[in-house]
Amino acid sequence: MARRDYAQDKESIKTFLSEFCQTDDDGKKNFVYGTQLVKLAHREQVLITIDLDHLAEFNESLAEAVIANCRRYATIFSDVIAELLPSYKQQEVHAKDSLDVYIEHRLMMDARTRNPLEQRDEHNSFPPELMKRFEVGFKPMSTEKAQSIREVKAQHIGKLVTVRGIVTRCTEVKPMMVVATYTCDRCGAETYQPVNSLTFTPVQECPSDDCRVNKAGGRLYLQTRGSKFVKFQELKMQEHSDQVPVGHIPRSMTVMCRGEVTRMAQPGDHVLVSGVFLPMVRTGFAQMIQGLLSETFLQAHRIICINKNDDLSDKESELTPEELEELAQDDFYERLATSLAPEIYGHLDVKKALLLLLVGGVDKRPDGMKIRGNINICLMGDPGVAKSQLLGYISRLALRSQYTTGRGSSGVGLTAAVMKDPLTGEMTLEGGALVLADQGVCCIDEFDKMADADRTAIHEVMEQQTISIAKAGIMTTLNARVSILAAANPAFGRYNPRRTVEQNIQLPAALLSRFDLLWLIQDKPDRDNDLRLAKHITYVHSHSKQPPSRIKALDMNLMRRYINLCKRKHPTIPDELTDYIVNAYVELRREARNQKDMTFTSARNLLGILRLSTALARLRLSDRVEKDDVAEALRLLEMSKDSLNQIHEHQKGHIPNTSDRIFAIVRELAGSGKAVKIADIMDRCTTKGFKPDQVDKCIDDYEELNVWQVNMGRTKITFM
Amino acid sequence: MPSSMELPSTPDELMERESTSTGWKELLRDQEKYKNIPLLNYTPMHKLKDETLVRFRGMVQDMIDPEMYLESYEVKAANGSTRMQQGKYRDCLRLHHGETVDYSAESNVHSTRRTLFVVSIPGLNEWVKEHEKQCNVEPHMDSSLTSGVARKRAADEGDNIEMDVDIPSEACKRQCTTQLKDVSSSGEQTAPVLSTEYFLNSPLPSRPSMACMVKIYEDFDAIPLNTIVDFVGFLSVNPALDATTLDVNNDIENMQELQALNPPPSIIPRLHAFGLRLLSHANPLLDLSLLQPTDIHLNIPPKSQETVHKEMRILFKLCLFDDDLAAEYLISHLISTVYSRAQMQSIGKFSLNICNLPTEGLQEYTIKLYKIMELLLPASHYIPMTLDTMNTSAFAPIKDYDTNKLVSGMLQLAPHTHLVLDETRMQPGKLESSGVLGMQHLSHLIKNQQLKCDFKFFHLDYNVDIPVMILSEGRSMLPCDFCLPVNADAKSVEMFEESFKAALHYLNPDRLLQFRNYLTQARISQFNVSDDHTTMIQEDFVEMRKSNAKSNADDLHGLLVLSRLLGIARGKADLDKETWQLATEFETKRRQRLQALPKSSAQTHT
Repeated sequence: MARRDYAQDKESIKTFLSEFCQTDDDGKKNFVYGTQLVKLAHREQVLITIDLDHLAEFNESLAEAVIANCRRYATIFSDVIAELLPSYKQQEVHAKDSLDVYIEHRLMMDARTRNPLEQRDEHNSFPPELMKRFEVGFKPMSTEKAQSIREVKAQHIGKLVTVRGIVTRCTEVKPMMVVATYTCDRCGAETYQPVNSLTFTPVQECPSDDCRVNKAGGRLYLQTRGSKFVKFQELKMQEHSDQVPVGHIPRSMTVMCRGEVTRMAQPGDHVLVSGVFLPMVRTGFAQMIQGLLSETFLQAHRIICINKNDDLSDKESELTPEELEELAQDDFYERLATSLAPEIYGHLDVKKALLLLLVGGVDKRPDGMKIRGNINICLMGDPGVAKSQLLGYISRLALRSQYTTGRGSSGVGLTAAVMKDPLTGEMTLEGGALVLADQGVCCIDEFDKMADADRTAIHEVMEQQTISIAKAGIMTTLNARVSILAAANPAFGRYNPRRTVEQNIQLPAALLSRFDLLWLIQDKPDRDNDLRLAKHITYVHSHSKQPPSRIKALDMNLMRRYINLCKRKHPTIPDELTDYIVNAYVELRREARNQKDMTFTSARNLLGILRLSTALARLRLSDRVEKDDVAEALRLLEMSKDSLNQIHEHQKGHIPNTSDRIFAIVRELAGSGKAVKIADIMDRCTTKGFKPDQVDKCIDDYEELNVWQVNMGRTKITFM
Repeated sequence: MPSSMELPSTPDELMERESTSTGWKELLRDQEKYKNIPLLNYTPMHKLKDETLVRFRGMVQDMIDPEMYLESYEVKAANGSTRMQQGKYRDCLRLHHGETVDYSAESNVHSTRRTLFVVSIPGLNEWVKEHEKQCNVEPHMDSSLTSGVARKRAADEGDNIEMDVDIPSEACKRQCTTQLKDVSSSGEQTAPVLSTEYFLNSPLPSRPSMACMVKIYEDFDAIPLNTIVDFVGFLSVNPALDATTLDVNNDIENMQELQALNPPPSIIPRLHAFGLRLLSHANPLLDLSLLQPTDIHLNIPPKSQETVHKEMRILFKLCLFDDDLAAEYLISHLISTVYSRAQMQSIGKFSLNICNLPTEGLQEYTIKLYKIMELLLPASHYIPMTLDTMNTSAFAPIKDYDTNKLVSGMLQLAPHTHLVLDETRMQPGKLESSGVLGMQHLSHLIKNQQLKCDFKFFHLDYNVDIPVMILSEGRSMLPCDFCLPVNADAKSVEMFEESFKAALHYLNPDRLLQFRNYLTQARISQFNVSDDHTTMIQEDFVEMRKSNAKSNADDLHGLLVLSRLLGIARGKADLDKETWQLATEFETKRRQRLQALPKSSAQTHT
């Protein structure tokens, strides 16, 4: 690469700063940097950020040069700005701190005493670093991709790079000396020493003419008032878990922050840091041991916390045309669905539903009424049917997700807790799992194990998508726009086909109706299914890999990006489809009345159908919902109902036997408690006309079903 | 390849080789030359000079960030003349008197290298150490003794050498403490000197391993965590590398990290590796680079796998109260390995829970059983699951951000290190939160063969292959693939001490050798399932489901793994019908025993 002409660059930077403008919507010209320069001149702003997008628009090769040799251009920019500033000054500036006063005094004194023609000693002139009261930062081009720490290598030295990671440690913000000012104890002359590295050797001998000529040997003393300091902070950042290859340790990197970029992040923050990658000049012992080694660090220009910034456009998420083509095949819907948790065999409809949950329906109707678009799903089923694996997979796949178990989290843990700050004594709100998963998925395993009081907190979230807090004097509403994916075990360990859904899951109807889809995953022997499962497993064992199914599983990362792309679409429902939907709903209601099934069909179902169909349209990347989408949504709803109802077919004509009737009595006796005395049961049952041996048989039967446990003395039973 | 060529003996020689020829790496494949390189693991440090060629066998415990170094740099002499000096495979600058480094010279070449923190394989059993020690070639420094004599002496004074290995760490402890005194007496700020144990970072604190920092120069991402590797390279033990001897008046914040990353080389030597071999197992008997010249087992006529298997069953029947089924399951467990990972499943794991152990003499029994296993396995560890162990020991590694080290835990073990958990030691009491966490780590390990490392801000799962066996009275509280109640009749329970004596007697040196080889060979052997048998299995599964709705996919997984291991144990390369039927038969028997279990336990209680 040819050497750049820095003098010429300096000129073009000058024109860029003073002339670059953007035309806003009203057609008015907006001098982006001109207005900032005025503020800088008046000391109302400290940091000026140069957007490299703007610079590229102005002069592309210059922008490239800045990226390649960032530190040098940062100096050039600051020199140019220092030159330009006086002309932007529109009013007299009041001194803000002691350094301002100091500089003002020196300038005045300088003007009075010095002969303008006299040659001045370099050391005694004011260094530009002392006079500059602003900082220059670069904002990388919007096309720049964030890299992981392990991708930053030796060839990036001196370049502007953007790195993503998590902050693991940060030091206190300390003052760092930029210009050291000394006074001589003999002649009173002032000497300045610009400091560029982390350490410096103080000047001892006075270099002024007086002292040198007279050999007075004047000693220099450091003057804190006249020295310039900047804020300085050192951060340690580490790769995030998704950037680490399997079986490796996350790498880390040191980030140096100066001035205005300090205090931007705290340990645990997920950040994007743009900065210059530089070798570190360490002196002293570090150099002694590691004469051969040089450490590297990132001089930060810009730090963004990703976890606090929602609308950050991540350039990595763009799909390439090839990837889009791969996805645009006919069977993409099945393909995406089977790619969800590919190691879990079958359950295609459940996976389809989960896919729609990830994509989500459209939030707002055009008429302005706010209706939730997030889809809530509840999976039920016997233990060991891979519910937890499905949940785990979804929470790993979703961009924002929280995984919790009902048993492990209280209502406070889910919603928000009011905490007292130990330092200031102020009350602060700490978001719980639901708040943290805002605009994401909250997976709650063992939903049935949750205490009733805690579950009520979810009611509001599931329909209104907010959490209202009124605790310790704080009244507020937090957004919790989450999709809830819950998994519940049947109340007595195993799904009892003799009971209704509510009895089996023991969740109130109000809550159950808030789930758009309820799914019962069952494991029943069935020749075809079993054979396919056996084929699958034997293949995995003998070939050490997943069988080559018709549909190849998609990469998790690709799925994530595709889902993200889908979420940007806002399909609408055309008028001609409304009749179809209304008819379908009316039909559903009628069926529900006639068939007496155990699920509910309410107005919420209608909204559910709309949500599912918009999600399907989104999945097609379409702006319009089509009839097929609605049909598929209806089919899924039907399937989910079927999964619950098919059991009840067995139930028809079933007369509860004595054991069951006794069991009902025991349940009633137990109430909300878990343990019942056998003597009590005997009393109650004999009054109802049962014989003691029948009671004993019932106790044994249900113990075998693992519904309850009998203690050793056979005096008490405890529900599992 | 000319066989006359020798391995390079100094870094400079190596650099020259690298620049002139490309085929020199072939030399490392030459077993004869390879085995003559002294093993750092067993050579006392005082016998090795800086920059000698050594090798080190161990497990990668931690990986440190890559560092930039000067591959070659310009040196200015006092008289103004300059020369180039190589910095590769070295830690320190090479300067003659009066010379300085010109850091800004145009001809300086910067490169990156990476440090791996390697510990000698945790849980390596005594017989392996003994064997490796005997194979080790003493460095020919001062003594004019022939290597044969030296080796004989080494064999005679095995105990002494063991002492020697320990000496460096002892010496360092002293050094550290004296240094502490120095600092405090001079009234300066006390340096936060880290303990030797912290530096060594042994996964099993009760069986400390030796640590070495290995610098690698290529393929930084080729070696995953916890793999066993044999490194060849140049030793670097310059005392200047020690950061603990520095006076500390600079910022303390970085000090701990600096000290952790630059431990005293007398405790943790550095090795600049130019060659490495990934090891699939830790058994030295099957490692050509560790053959003893007088190896006896080459002379023994090899027995077929099947005969060895039979003999082994006799041995384990003696140890397991004459229970044949238990012996079969134990052998299957000992040769199991995770042979494939399909997304979230790890296939081939065979965690075994031997329960229903008789209460009499239990304490001695579990230890005796472990002692037998210890004799057969290259690496194993026994954890008594007392409340105290659970509450106080670290199970999974935790990242320490103050020192930027991955502080090891008991479960950070090399592949095929057998873990024996003795649940019979558990007493009723309170499990603290750390104990609960330990239980979670254990069950995660058993379920997924993954180790969850705590990086404070997130967790990372690392694939491991640690077969777990649990000994318990009732069913274990940890989830296990195979839970097998032992059928112990009263007579064999009474006799168990005698049985163990007989077992030890049965294990004569020849058999020991055969068993050791057998277990490792079986573990790494291949096994195929033909298509015919696949359909048979599938049909069987459908039938199984028909007859018992409760049987599920996990049962099929179990059966497949068991039949594979039973086949391998009998020296078969393919699945045949008998083996499959044997597996189903065994599983049915096991299930019957399990169903009988709760009632029998209830009877003993009442």
